[in-house]
Amino acid sequence: MTNHLGDIQNSKAIIIFGANPAVNHPVGFKHILKAKERNNAVLIVVDPRYTKTAAKADLYVRIRPGTDIPFMYGMLHLIFKYGWEDEEYIKNRVFRMDYIKKEAKKWTPEKVADVTGVPTDVLIQVTRAYASNKPGTLLWAMGLTQHSIGSSNTRMAPILQLALGNMGKFGGGCNILRGHDNVQGATDMCCLSHSLPGYYGLSEGSWKYFAHNWGVDFKWLQNRFATPKMMHTKGFTLSKWWQGVLQEEKIYQPTPIKALWVQGNGITSVAQTAKVQQALDKLDLLVVAEPFANEAAVITNKTDNVYILPTTTQFEDEGSVTATNRTAQWRSKVIDPLYESKTDEEIMFTFAKKFGFYDEFVRGMMMGVRNGKAVKVKDTFKWPEDATREIARIIKTIGLTGWTPERLKKHQENWHMFDEVTLKGIGPMKGEYYGLPWPCWTEYHSGSPVLYNIGIPVMEGGMGFRARFGTEYEGENLLAGPFATIKGAKVKGGYPELTKENIEKVLGIKIPAREKAIMGKNWKVDLSGLIAKYALQAGVAPYGNAKARAYVWTFPDKIPMHREPLHTPRYDLAKIYPTYPDKKDQYRVDTKFISIQKKDWAKDFPIILTTGRLVMYSGAGLIERNSKYLAALEPEMFADINPALAYKYGIRDGDMIWIHSPEGAKIKVKARFTYSVSPDRIFLPFHFAGIMEGKNMSKNYPEGLIPYAIGESGNTVANYGYDIVTQIPETKAGLVRIEKA
Amino acid sequence: MSSLKELEKVKVGRRSFLKMAALSTALGATGLNAAPAVREATCDELKDPYPGSKKVKTICTTCSVGCGIIAEVYNGVWVRQEVAQDHPISHGSHCCKGIDSIDTVRTAKRVKHPLKKVNGKWQRISWDQAVNEISEKMLELRKKHGPDAAMFLGSAKMGTEQAYYFRKFAAMWGTNNIDHQARI
Repeated sequence: MTNHLGDIQNSKAIIIFGANPAVNHPVGFKHILKAKERNNAVLIVVDPRYTKTAAKADLYVRIRPGTDIPFMYGMLHLIFKYGWEDEEYIKNRVFRMDYIKKEAKKWTPEKVADVTGVPTDVLIQVTRAYASNKPGTLLWAMGLTQHSIGSSNTRMAPILQLALGNMGKFGGGCNILRGHDNVQGATDMCCLSHSLPGYYGLSEGSWKYFAHNWGVDFKWLQNRFATPKMMHTKGFTLSKWWQGVLQEEKIYQPTPIKALWVQGNGITSVAQTAKVQQALDKLDLLVVAEPFANEAAVITNKTDNVYILPTTTQFEDEGSVTATNRTAQWRSKVIDPLYESKTDEEIMFTFAKKFGFYDEFVRGMMMGVRNGKAVKVKDTFKWPEDATREIARIIKTIGLTGWTPERLKKHQENWHMFDEVTLKGIGPMKGEYYGLPWPCWTEYHSGSPVLYNIGIPVMEGGMGFRARFGTEYEGENLLAGPFATIKGAKVKGGYPELTKENIEKVLGIKIPAREKAIMGKNWKVDLSGLIAKYALQAGVAPYGNAKARAYVWTFPDKIPMHREPLHTPRYDLAKIYPTYPDKKDQYRVDTKFISIQKKDWAKDFPIILTTGRLVMYSGAGLIERNSKYLAALEPEMFADINPALAYKYGIRDGDMIWIHSPEGAKIKVKARFTYSVSPDRIFLPFHFAGIMEGKNMSKNYPEGLIPYAIGESGNTVANYGYDIVTQIPETKAGLVRIEKA
Repeated sequence: MSSLKELEKVKVGRRSFLKMAALSTALGATGLNAAPAVREATCDELKDPYPGSKKVKTICTTCSVGCGIIAEVYNGVWVRQEVAQDHPISHGSHCCKGIDSIDTVRTAKRVKHPLKKVNGKWQRISWDQAVNEISEKMLELRKKHGPDAAMFLGSAKMGTEQAYYFRKFAAMWGTNNIDHQARI
């Protein structure tokens, strides 16, 4: 989220693409309803399904899955045609919007109607409503991301916001609703195969920075890897790790995957559950550390070398958690670990000892900064506070320096002293925003509730766009224009990110030699904190002030382009808007694109499949299906089907049906009649597991641990298809065929 | 009110007997020794069935909104859950999942001890056995096939410190085969 939930109450227009907060984030949705009530905000919902969120909308757009880019280009077509864009904003703060304008010109309402299925008058009505009510905020969730063009979708939405001048404004921004409680925090910590914590990447420089901060020798760390090269090679992902075992597609590492270690992950929430099952069966070792009987250990037919380790919930532990709006909240421990459960960190510490790297593992918690260098400063550590300090010391990229355990605890103790709409503190909390939303540049910084807002001083959370990609490209200036000066900044307009070399020149100051001597090379690795200090004194953010890039030269598509889903119901359009060529070595495995799309799947699989959540459940549903109350309210897996479609197959409400995927997987579920889906598509929730392709696996649960609700996993029939950049599965736009069971 | 002795001092009324029955796991045999005589509840007890309980502030573990929770803890047992009326994001609201947070510890379905599948049957094992066997097997695979033979799937359900440490765990094991729910 660039803004925060309370800030949505400042919005005059709210447009939601592929998110259903009324069900998935009900308390977050309250802020949207308040915007409607108090601000008379217009609510627009763009979704393939008439969701509970859509039920509250002023304007609902039933879009064909996978066509968000044409729809947004259609909006931009009208915006540019009628001059509704914010010209001054674009000139000063956006790089190459003219490329977008050119592409948008092609997307006439008629053409958009053909591709998206949205009538021209609806597009015009929506665009007019959204463009003429400012500020407007744009929300999305997995409905926008889980596509083979998911990464382009997530670029398109900010571009729409940039065109209207809605980014970096109260009541504006792109507000992405994350799924789990700490997706934001775990993402920031880069529990991800392509980066070190804080989005530092996997370059040698980054590893060296972390080695230094962990108090370990870089060579030692390098020797832990198979080869030095593997240290810098992105690993397998949650989406396709199973190919590392099965090797049906070529893999790029010296060994297949033999051991899977699952610690807090309902792995049935990715597409191709049948493949996941096959991979689990072939493993040498499966370790599952969870509070509940994770279905990874259940859907497998593996008979040996499967372990389940009892792990606590977060209520039996302490630490910080980052909400969807980048605020950190401190969780106090409610009770001691139950039964024989161990906390997640205890499990890691125990095995680190066995694996022989415990001392290196925990040393970072006993370190501090002296003269700009990380050194060991004490002999013991206290969990989790010293881990929080370690993170604050190291992670500069997103500005976590200010997140000390003391401040976070103080915010929790005084959470009643913060305003809902502004997050501003009162009384002793004055001058700080609740949860110190990152970037929180220093231990005395306020936190930043609205990203990229140049209308407020940096010390109150203001900043420009990050100058991350140099100062010019093909002779064009990438830095912000003269009218994009951050309020109160001593530097006018744009400026580059600060380094030891340029800081004096950019800020027009002289820094004593003894300070220069201990200063890090640039703001991202400056442990001395001096760059941040001088930046704040000058009223500028350390990371520069640049233009946002509508045109990205490093991406497969320089500007977002429409490409049909791999399994498209419009084979005719796949010829005009084809997907990418197949991708070699994407996160260590080949991934197919065009070789799937070149076949007309819709002939045999004529029904569109889309998936989502139910209000009683979240994720793979493991937690809620083990609650008898929630499970009792939603006990059974089903498929939402329009009666008109059901009629064609002789299916009645409540009948059991088989759903078949192009990959040859099938599930048997109950048909639920609803008009929320149109007759060309069905909807599946993805929270269930425990039944695989009609086979009840309940005998595989440990005794007494069968959840109160089990069912077919919707993802068993979610199609093959992955994003070109992130490898997110295309679960939101697939094809299936159905028959009465 | 933390020790058992103090608890024994409490005269047992009808309500507190029921309470004790609920607490019997924590109390063991002691709860059963107390006579189940009914008496009038005191004024304090009428106002508050859990006198001396502790109210712990914490955050919901379901979605990313980050609603506040007030957990009432009595003698180490989470007895009641309240909405946080004064929390700046949730303001006393909870959804059906959040209000049921207490069930994550109250449910009978928690994994209670380490388990191992042997010849298709689940067996209870000790932590020591689990740790020894798993680490032996992991190290054997590492030696034979290299560190990339392992895949670590971490979690958006971990706290930030834990997630950071999980990333470090994979790094020191020697692989970038680590991922979590944010990928999807």
